[in-house]
Order: sequence, then structure tokens, then C-alpha cells
Amino acid sequence: MATSNPSREAILARIREGLRTPAQPMEGNTFYGPIFEAVENPLERFQQECKANLMECQLTDDAAASAQALTQVLQSLPPGEIFIQDDPVLRRLMTVAGPQRQVRWSSEGGPREQSQATITLVDALIAQTGSIFVSASGGGRGASVVAPTHIVYAFAKQLVPDLVTALRNATADGRLDKNSYACVISGSSRTADIEKILVQGAHGPMRLVVIVETSA
Amino acid sequence: MSTSLPSPKPAGETPSALTAAQKFLRDAATKSADLVHREIIRKNMDSYDAAHNRGRARIKDWEAARRKCQEIKREAINHLDRYLLQFEQKVLERGGHVFWAANGDEACAYIKDLAVSRGVKTVVKSKSMVTEEMHLAPVLEAVGMHVWETDLGEFIVQLRNEAPYHIVTPAMHLDRNQIRDLFREKLGEDIPDADPQKLVALARRKLREAFFAAEMGISGANFLVADAGAVAISTNEGNGRLSTSLPRIHVAVTGIEKVIPRLEDLGTLWPVLATSGTGQPITTYSTLASGPKRADEADGPEEFHVVLLDNGRSGLLANAEEREILHCIRCGACLNICPVYRNIGGHTYNTTYPGPIGSVLTPHLRGSEFEHLSYASSLCGACTSVCPVNINLHHHLLHNRRDFTKVSGPKTSGERRQFKLWRTAMLHPRLYALGGWIMRRSLRLLYGMGLAGTALDPMRAWSRKRTPVPLPSQSFRARWRSDLGRKANGNK
Repeated sequence: MATSNPSREAILARIREGLRTPAQPMEGNTFYGPIFEAVENPLERFQQECKANLMECQLTDDAAASAQALTQVLQSLPPGEIFIQDDPVLRRLMTVAGPQRQVRWSSEGGPREQSQATITLVDALIAQTGSIFVSASGGGRGASVVAPTHIVYAFAKQLVPDLVTALRNATADGRLDKNSYACVISGSSRTADIEKILVQGAHGPMRLVVIVETSA
Repeated sequence: MSTSLPSPKPAGETPSALTAAQKFLRDAATKSADLVHREIIRKNMDSYDAAHNRGRARIKDWEAARRKCQEIKREAINHLDRYLLQFEQKVLERGGHVFWAANGDEACAYIKDLAVSRGVKTVVKSKSMVTEEMHLAPVLEAVGMHVWETDLGEFIVQLRNEAPYHIVTPAMHLDRNQIRDLFREKLGEDIPDADPQKLVALARRKLREAFFAAEMGISGANFLVADAGAVAISTNEGNGRLSTSLPRIHVAVTGIEKVIPRLEDLGTLWPVLATSGTGQPITTYSTLASGPKRADEADGPEEFHVVLLDNGRSGLLANAEEREILHCIRCGACLNICPVYRNIGGHTYNTTYPGPIGSVLTPHLRGSEFEHLSYASSLCGACTSVCPVNINLHHHLLHNRRDFTKVSGPKTSGERRQFKLWRTAMLHPRLYALGGWIMRRSLRLLYGMGLAGTALDPMRAWSRKRTPVPLPSQSFRARWRSDLGRKANGNK
């Protein structure tokens, strides 16, 4: 049903009327060089930024090594259900990793409050900020925020040097037309609202683990 | 949930008979003499300053970053109708709703009616200064809904029945012991050592119940991305993500000035906002919401509504000189650096937006009752120097003073006489020099007699509570001729 919008035309008319007055010219130099330092070695930079963001980043050589890394992370977690993005890549990985715990796949709905961890893929890794770029197709919106631990399985070929490239790619592939949600995540959930003291795990994951497979 | 929350006191409500200006002066005097408050703010600001400086140093060319952000916002504001319509079209195409609200009452009524019609009992809110501006929470509570602020700082000030103290750090004025006492009283759990980790864990536990119970999540928006039709929300805690993921209705409420042209603009705006707001390279969760849950998605809201609030903003567009005020990205950097804010604190302003940007903006949004805020500045220009979108804040304070004076004129005949005298002196340098000579000698005589700060002292406004400023032996012009000028010109 269309939203009733009695003030829409009046607001637009006021905006247009206001903009009839030309803008004042901009002062100062309009030419400038690069804003951010160029990323020379994306993988190295990604690892550095992950560390600064208090994320755990593990590099693996192949799928078997990734499964082993995943098993170790899962063994370090308290008992309980884990939530996994229902994707053939993760189904294959879980067959090898073989978690001895209950699994809820994203095809069964969103993650539950009692989920101990979530496992997802990503759309991209961003070297400049040590970020993961996820969208709703990666197991849904809650997949990267509800559980206390979020584990990401990614590939080095998904690495882009900077944020602008990641966003340009997202525009080019119409990611927000295909997904109702996307997020650039740069660390675990945190707050400094009490005396500016950093505390992890404010509302979302206290731990963010990224397993990056380099051979693929 | 057993905890019941008081509705926060709306900022700007002045229950006493005092005018806003009188209340401001009274509260400023009280707050600036409160040494405990000053110590808490000093510690917070020192911590921010260090992080902010580190953050700026990480960016190769900070001035270029500011320039780029200024250009992005300038393009958006000067084509505001085009970009808002582009944004609206995208949202509608995906099954979302866009409501244009002329003022806060219209926006509140839309959200309240929506919530009532959908049987909403519990609402979770992520931080949104626009919802503070329109006093949304009390409207929803008045019809029996439980409204939970989920940003930790907002949650704390909600429990205290206070307005946010700061636009980025709402509970900056409180220390851990005060928060421990508050939680014991309102949440019924004691954390004797007031460990911030444990205090945060308690708030997380309480608010998790709210997230999973809520039928409606209300968020603000840091940016509206026109070409993507997406609402961009930056949070560190993840409360913004939970508020927009778990409830079956998501309502994003924001001002019309938040639109930007392109998704890739966030490649500069996100890092600059985070650097200016907290000193981080980027906020932990930089989120983009572009519609209701799609059929093939595991979760998400069934309904997505965007409320675009005008509330006086469109009126600013006609004023080309002041239009750039709408470029503000609400990072809070101008508050943090302002020597006035750092001494009188956020609540003294009694406005939704405190500090320099609030002093510039509020008189335009709320009228001449707040014109006194144009004088809540030393005009040192520190605010302008840190603004990440290059808003010439201290000049706008001067513009506001000029414009208000044009309308209302000098306040008293004495003031009028003083300005006439000042004008004459400024137009006649010899007369000005003579005035300075007389003033220096008169004040020296007066201060020598111990009459500083008395009714006879023309500098009484300063010296009645402070040590008089030492009087120079020479005029500025004489000093300039002797040595200052040579130094300034590099001893040429």
C-alpha cells in the first residue's frame, strides 16, 4: 500500500525554492593528491589491520588446512549450537571439519540467541581497514552479529586493496539490489561509553575469526 | 521484562520561568565551577584527543580528506531534491516505504500510528539524534509501548531520565561508579568493583531480552545513499545491527540533509567520520540497509520504512551563506575541541545538538529563543579547524549574531552608544590610539586602588570572578612597530 505523504510536495517545493539561490563559490584549492596511503601488499596489510582491530586472522594453504583451523576454533568454544550459512562451500568444509555439536543451517531461519558461534562466507576482504564485507545472502542479517563468536571462511582472491574499490565493486554488481542488507565489519563488537575504556562484546560478537585460504 | 524505564526528559524543555538564555547562563556558571564534572570531562577529552590525533596521522592527507568530504556533501546539498528522489525511488522499488515529515509532530505521528496498527509492544532504538530532536520516545511510551535505547550511553542516560550529554558519547559526564550505582538502583544488580567489562555485560544481558522481544527497531542514519537506495548506519556496539535485523519492522529516521550521491563516497566519508568521532580508522559496523527482507534471505524485517525529517532544514537552503551548515555529519569533533563545551558541558546548552554545531544550528531550527547560543563561543576557530567537512563554524556564529542584531537591534541604548563609539574609533586610528592610552592608564590606576571587579571596573564581566588580565605597558601598535612586526615578517 502506498504511503500517504501529505507534506512530500511541500518539502520538495521548499527545497527547490531554496536552491534557486545559487551556492557560494568554494574557497581554496580544488586539486589534491591521494587521501589514503596506497596499499602495497594487500594480504600483509589485511593481517596488520586485523590485529589492530582485535580480530583473529589465520592464513591456510588449502581446504584441508582451513578445516583443521576451523576445528580448532570450534573446540575452543563452549558447548552449544552453531549456526552456519547454508552454502555448498561451507557444507563441504563442515564435512571435513566435522563439528561434534548441533548445527543450524541458515536455510532453517536466522540464528538463535543460544547459538555459540556463526560461520559464514564473505563478499570481500578489505586490506586498507582490515574489514570483512558481508551481505544478507551470507546467512542473513543476524549471522554476523547474534552469536558471541563469528567465524569467517574467506579466500585471498577476495581481497581488495581499499574501501573505495570494495564499494565500487558492490555498486557494479548491484549488491544492494540483490541483498536487503550489507555490512563492512572491522572487528568485534565494542564500546568505550564508560570512561572511554574499550570493552569488547558490547552487543555483538566478542570474537571475530577470519580464516583466509591463500591457494584458491 | 521486569525493568520499567522512565521516559527521557526531552532536551530543550524549560520548566522554570527563566528564559533559555537566563537558564544557560545560570547552568554554565554552575557547571564550570563543578570540579568533579570538569575532571571527568578532562579525562574523556584527553583520551579522545590522543585517539583523534593518532587517527588523523593514519590518513595520508587529512586536509584532502576534509576537502573531498566537503565536496561530496556540497554536491548533495546543492542538488538535494534530485538525490532525495533518487533515494526514494530505489527504496520504493524494493518494497520499502518513505515518509516525508515537515516537522517532528508529523514524524512522530507516522511512527506511532504505524506501531499501533502493527500491534507493537516493544521498540528497540539505536542511537539517533533526530529522534531526540523530535522527542519520539515519550510519544510511543504514551500509548503504552516499552522503548529501549540500546546504545550503551543512551541506555544509561535513559535510565537517568536525562537527555544525551554528547552526540557521540551520550554518557560522557558519568564515571563508572555513578553507572554502577545507577544499574544497582534501576536494574537491581550490583557490581561492587564497578568494572566496566562487567557493567557492559550486565547491559548486554538486559538489552538482549529487549532485542529478541521487540517488534519494531528504530534507527537513525549517518547517510542516505542515493544511487544505492540504502541507509548507512555506523555503530561500534552492534546495537544498530541488532535493531535493524531482529524486529519485524525497521524504521530509519533521519534528516533530509543526510543524503549523499554515491555508494563509493562512503569510501572517504566512513573513515573520516570515524576518525573525527572516535579516532578509529573506521567504525566497527558500517551497515547498509536497503529494504525489507527478501524472500531468499534467512532473516530480517518484513517492513522497511524511512522517515525523512525536514523540521526547518529546507529553510536553511535559501540562505546561501549558511547553507553549508547542512553539510554536518554529526561527528562531534567540534564539541570535543570547543573550550566552552569542555567547561560548561553538554546539558547546559539545553538543546538536542550541543556545542558549536548546535549553537549554529539550533537558532535556525528552534527560533530566536536560542539566539544567545551564538555568543556561547570564544570565536577561537578551533571548531572550524577540526570540522571534517570544513564548515566555517565560527563565522556562522558571527553571521547569526549579525542577523539577529539586524532583526532585534542592540539590546539597550547603552549598547547602542557603545557600538557607535566603537565605530567612530575604528574609523579614526588616532582616536582609537588615544582611547587605548587612556584606558591603559585608567585601568592601572583603578587596579592599583584595589577596585578590580567592582562596579567602577569597565572589565568587570571578566574580573569580578577572575584575576585581572595584566595590562601591557605599550599599545599593540607600538609593540608591532618595535619587535612584533619584525618577527611576524621573518626579521626582513
